[in-house]
Amino acid sequence: MAFLKQAGLLLAKDLRLELRRREILLTMFFFGTLLLFVFHFSFDLAPEKVLEMAPALLWLAFLFTGTLGLAQLFQSERDNHCLDALLVSPLDRGAFFVAKVSFNLILMLIVEVFVMPLFWILFNLRSWNLMPLLFLITLLGTAGFCVLGTLLSAMTLRARARELLLPLILFPLMIPVILATIRGMEAVIRSGGLAEGAPWLRLLVGFDVMFLTAGILMFDWVIDN
Amino acid sequence: MHITIRQLAKSYGFLWALKDVSFDLAPGELVALLGPNGAGKTTLLKLLAGLTTPTSGAIEFDGDRPGRNSNRWRSKIGFLVPGEHLYENLTVRENLQFFCRLYDKNHSGAALDHALDTLSLSSRSKEFVAALSSGMKCRLAIAKWQLLEPELLLLDEPYGVLDGRGVDLLEGFLKRQCEIGRIVVVASHHVSRVLQLCSRALILHQGRLIFDEPRRQPWESFARAFSDFLPHGE
Amino acid sequence: MGNETRRKNPRILGVVALIFIIIGLYWGLMHAPPDAYQGDVQRIMYLHIPSILTAYLSFFLVFIGSCLYLWKRERRDDILAYSAAEIGVLFTALTIIEGSIWGKPTWGVWWTWDARLTLTAVLLLIFAGYLMLRSLTEDESRAASSAAVLGIIGFLDIPLIHMSVYWWRTLHQPPSILRPDKAPWENIHPAMLTAVAINFVAFMLLYFYLLSLRLRLGETKDQIKLSRLSRG
Repeated sequence: MAFLKQAGLLLAKDLRLELRRREILLTMFFFGTLLLFVFHFSFDLAPEKVLEMAPALLWLAFLFTGTLGLAQLFQSERDNHCLDALLVSPLDRGAFFVAKVSFNLILMLIVEVFVMPLFWILFNLRSWNLMPLLFLITLLGTAGFCVLGTLLSAMTLRARARELLLPLILFPLMIPVILATIRGMEAVIRSGGLAEGAPWLRLLVGFDVMFLTAGILMFDWVIDN
Repeated sequence: MHITIRQLAKSYGFLWALKDVSFDLAPGELVALLGPNGAGKTTLLKLLAGLTTPTSGAIEFDGDRPGRNSNRWRSKIGFLVPGEHLYENLTVRENLQFFCRLYDKNHSGAALDHALDTLSLSSRSKEFVAALSSGMKCRLAIAKWQLLEPELLLLDEPYGVLDGRGVDLLEGFLKRQCEIGRIVVVASHHVSRVLQLCSRALILHQGRLIFDEPRRQPWESFARAFSDFLPHGE
Repeated sequence: MGNETRRKNPRILGVVALIFIIIGLYWGLMHAPPDAYQGDVQRIMYLHIPSILTAYLSFFLVFIGSCLYLWKRERRDDILAYSAAEIGVLFTALTIIEGSIWGKPTWGVWWTWDARLTLTAVLLLIFAGYLMLRSLTEDESRAASSAAVLGIIGFLDIPLIHMSVYWWRTLHQPPSILRPDKAPWENIHPAMLTAVAINFVAFMLLYFYLLSLRLRLGETKDQIKLSRLSRG
């Protein structure tokens, strides 16, 4: 109970700070939209090809915007040595991890909820009915990204060139998530249902659960001095 | 709370910040931690606060060695760094509420108001910390630890940014803490100030503890040790 | 163990490794018959299989060293993880290069996105990242614990990466030695099998020789640091 209370307290604090500044959310959203434009100019896709490419392009956009968000994830703790203030407090390290993962997940989901329909509009796609299922897969993939991303973001917190280092160590580890979300979304687009992509969904759930557990257990080794 | 420190050592890469430091702390003590820059004062405070782990040696709280995830002890240790450890984009009151909940202290709104009042911060309670002067931030830090009631309170260089009234408030607060049996450790360069305040002085020099005595009047041994190791009279 | 024996042992190991490598090369390049389908190109397998196995062993040792370090906080275990990661990156890179050289005449391309190739490349990236994290984090104890967590995460991720890239595509020939339906010696000419075995032993010896050198390097670095500490 105390675990969830602490995590909730921290998450509420982060959301309140983000609502006041809106820095991370706005930059992520703007960057995501920008990427859609860049994709449109660089690929010049025929309408029938776009739906096929949609999962890959969307995920590239999410991956890059997510990385942008991760670099800022501990910003509120970096100012004024607040990280130390949290570390001297009786805050459970696992709760700290869960709070940061949830915060990151909420930010990314907000951006995705806007960017995905925008993709459909900009590329003139019609199959709006697929969107809920596609979003479900995106949700699972984003959760995996946030879990591992938060852990590695804390890992690079005190490293030199941390913004550059983070994607270098994160992306290779993310390959199961990248493959599973894109192939899973392709399966949904092909068949209109989840059945065909079921193995990919199971892989995603497995990834999320495994690294969430690992993160809760190991976060103190990463965050403590 | 009794604290025992045995053969504490800490190295950072090729530098050693502390070596072979041993002493005890008993309830009610107000300890001045002195020494030139780089003597290891901040490192010792960080070790006591559990912010960093010793390279060797141990710190025991009531005979108990806090290990990994020892949150029970963390709730009893305060680390007052003036002007820091506060969220700039939360208001004065929000900061206090946040830390009270984090330390699981169920203070009423009235208690919060009272704490703000004693430090003449009531009129500022809805302002963002970013908008406060550094003196105000220090007062807020005092209010924070007044509410969190730690049994061991650590202070790193608290005088630097305090105004005259702030100093009085801080010293009054520290003395009251010691009167009710809590331990206070103050690291500072303002030797004359802390000497009047403290009940005991420690001098660190190049990571070693070279002086440890309770305060006396007159205190020749301190003057000697002090002039030997702090030749510039900081 | 005395200093004297510790200094001598690796050298003996190195000499024995060298002897085995020479025998292994002779056996693989001269003695074993050429492959019925692939011809002489197949001989690169005598290096390819041992190097990927040593690479896998490396990453397992990184995992073990990382776990032990987080558990007991012994410098020794951290040095083991770091050393194994460095040598692992070396052998993984070798494996990929050998695979490319073999792939060009056999498949007609230097690189193909088949499951096992992809997995090997991803492993290389993960552990190159591990080395980068270490070199970019200045505080040593922090670098050690961060890297240990990364070592464990990386190892846990391998089965997932394997599964995902395997589902994604499979084009590689099935493992040629360990086949569930037949005993190994029924598939392959005995001289070929011996060549693989000798080279495997040679690579293991070479691997442990390099590892012991690298471990000693790490320990020496620590000793220098310690002596500087005590001198102040």
